[in-house]
Amino acid sequence: MTGGNSHGWPLWRRQITVLAVQEIGRSVFSRRALPVYLLAAMPIALALLRSIFMSESERAHPTHTTTEFAQVFHFFLLRFIVFFSAAVLFVKLFRGEILERSLHYHLLAPVRREVLAVGKYLGGVVASASILGATVVVTIVLFYLPHGRAGLSALTSASGLAEVAAYVATTVLACAAYGSLFLLAGLFFKNPMVPAVLFLGWEVLTPFLPGFLKVLSVVHYLGSLEPVPISQGPFALLAQPIPEWLAVAALVAISGGLLAIGAWKTRGLEVTYSAE
Amino acid sequence: MTAGTISVSNVSKFYGEVLGVNRVTVDIQPGLTGLVGPNGSGKSTLMHLLCGLLRPTRGSISVLGVSPDQPEELFRTVGYCTQYDSFPNGSTGSSFLNHTLALHGLDRAQADRRTREILDRVGLTEAGNRRIAGYSKGMRQRIKLAQAICHDPQVLILDEPLNGLDPMGRAEMIDLFKELARGGRHVIVSSHILHEVDLISDGVIMIHGGSVVAEGSIRAVRGEITAQPLQILVRCDQPHAIAARAFAMPHVVEARIVDGATGVLLRTTNAAAFFPELGRLILSSGVEVETVTPADESVHAVYDYLIGEGGGGR
Repeated sequence: MTGGNSHGWPLWRRQITVLAVQEIGRSVFSRRALPVYLLAAMPIALALLRSIFMSESERAHPTHTTTEFAQVFHFFLLRFIVFFSAAVLFVKLFRGEILERSLHYHLLAPVRREVLAVGKYLGGVVASASILGATVVVTIVLFYLPHGRAGLSALTSASGLAEVAAYVATTVLACAAYGSLFLLAGLFFKNPMVPAVLFLGWEVLTPFLPGFLKVLSVVHYLGSLEPVPISQGPFALLAQPIPEWLAVAALVAISGGLLAIGAWKTRGLEVTYSAE
Repeated sequence: MTAGTISVSNVSKFYGEVLGVNRVTVDIQPGLTGLVGPNGSGKSTLMHLLCGLLRPTRGSISVLGVSPDQPEELFRTVGYCTQYDSFPNGSTGSSFLNHTLALHGLDRAQADRRTREILDRVGLTEAGNRRIAGYSKGMRQRIKLAQAICHDPQVLILDEPLNGLDPMGRAEMIDLFKELARGGRHVIVSSHILHEVDLISDGVIMIHGGSVVAEGSIRAVRGEITAQPLQILVRCDQPHAIAARAFAMPHVVEARIVDGATGVLLRTTNAAAFFPELGRLILSSGVEVETVTPADESVHAVYDYLIGEGGGGR
């Protein structure tokens, strides 16, 4: 072979970059991304409708905007938009290529299967975090914009910018955690939508679960990172709040652990397209 | 099991309860090897097993000393052109090769240069920047082949590589396979077109019902089929004279005048005794002989004896 003599980490790093860049291209610029863009457009449309139908008195006082956005972020953006966007993008990392019968090209390259899994996963994280992070920023701006100068100054103040940063960081971690879960679902299940719906049910039930079960959900940790606390309703069981560092560590550990299982699964992956 | 050969040792593969291949043991030497068998016989399964796309249910495989479950090492020396006629969505010929070469660790400049070389080698220079989705069947076959050879592998495994190619394309590809095999590489080609396998192969592996029924050079395999008399075609000016005298030999079971009396087809059960006796017969009869050629030392004939209508004749 002419060139390409590197081995070990330098080669793996290069291969991960190549795989991630390809996956970003597919997830951001191809037809595969269309459902994600449609999902991402929904909170933006909601924010636009809110600004259109806002009364003059509401427009003059941005008092409730912070809590309104916090609720939209938690119940709509995080639980619905990010969840299903991650499902669409990450399930297709392997399952999509199996269905289009092109996965074998990756399996016929001198790439460790673990490297393949990591490269694809990182590409998915960058792509989903970029699209959904931008969605969060645009939505929050559209929430504050109708309030004119008062809204803009609230948004661009130090605390406002810190809130935006916290929401974007929460979104990125949500993409990483849900992404690893759906990568795994795509590897283990021929129809990953069934486990996705079951997991969504579990996430929805989380507020009503006792503390020792809450720790088994992703949204429990994501909720701890949201800058504005929100009410989960009268029937929710309260639990001790988790320190931010612990929530971040737990989400990173969940993502890493699920990715490790996924990488292990890819080691035994066989190409039997006719059976799919 | 040596580092210079491809060794398949007692390998079986089952898809649930369905048999893929059963207790296959072969050693494949460098050169061009034809893998022959009817549809569903296990050819593609065996090729997938050699490349790690499938894992054996039992048995072991070594490709030049490397196990197929080590892709990082294996695909530095192995290239595989599969039968799947599908490609990553939106790929152009160039981007498809470039991506593969980047995964081999080449930097952008090296990958670009190599991509141009390989596109040129398979005759796709003009079409390199077009989407593969718009390629003809023959062009798709060529780009798959380009992907398999782009890293200059020592082992090339080609599953029906001539499918969809026009006659000119077939001739070009056959020349390319021969050239690659001459360089000391292992080139394993499966094809259902037996005539082509005959033209290109140094040896064959015949597979049927998931089991290897014969392997080796065509002549050696034919020699082992003792139940079927060997056929020899003698082209000469007096075929009737040759037929009459040859039929007196105890091991000649048939003598038939063929092709408008320009030759005689003889069938013998003892090839070792036949050829010296035929030589003496020709010298003593004064017949002018143009050629003496084995008529069934071909992949087609051997296939027919072992797998086709005459199957079970070994």
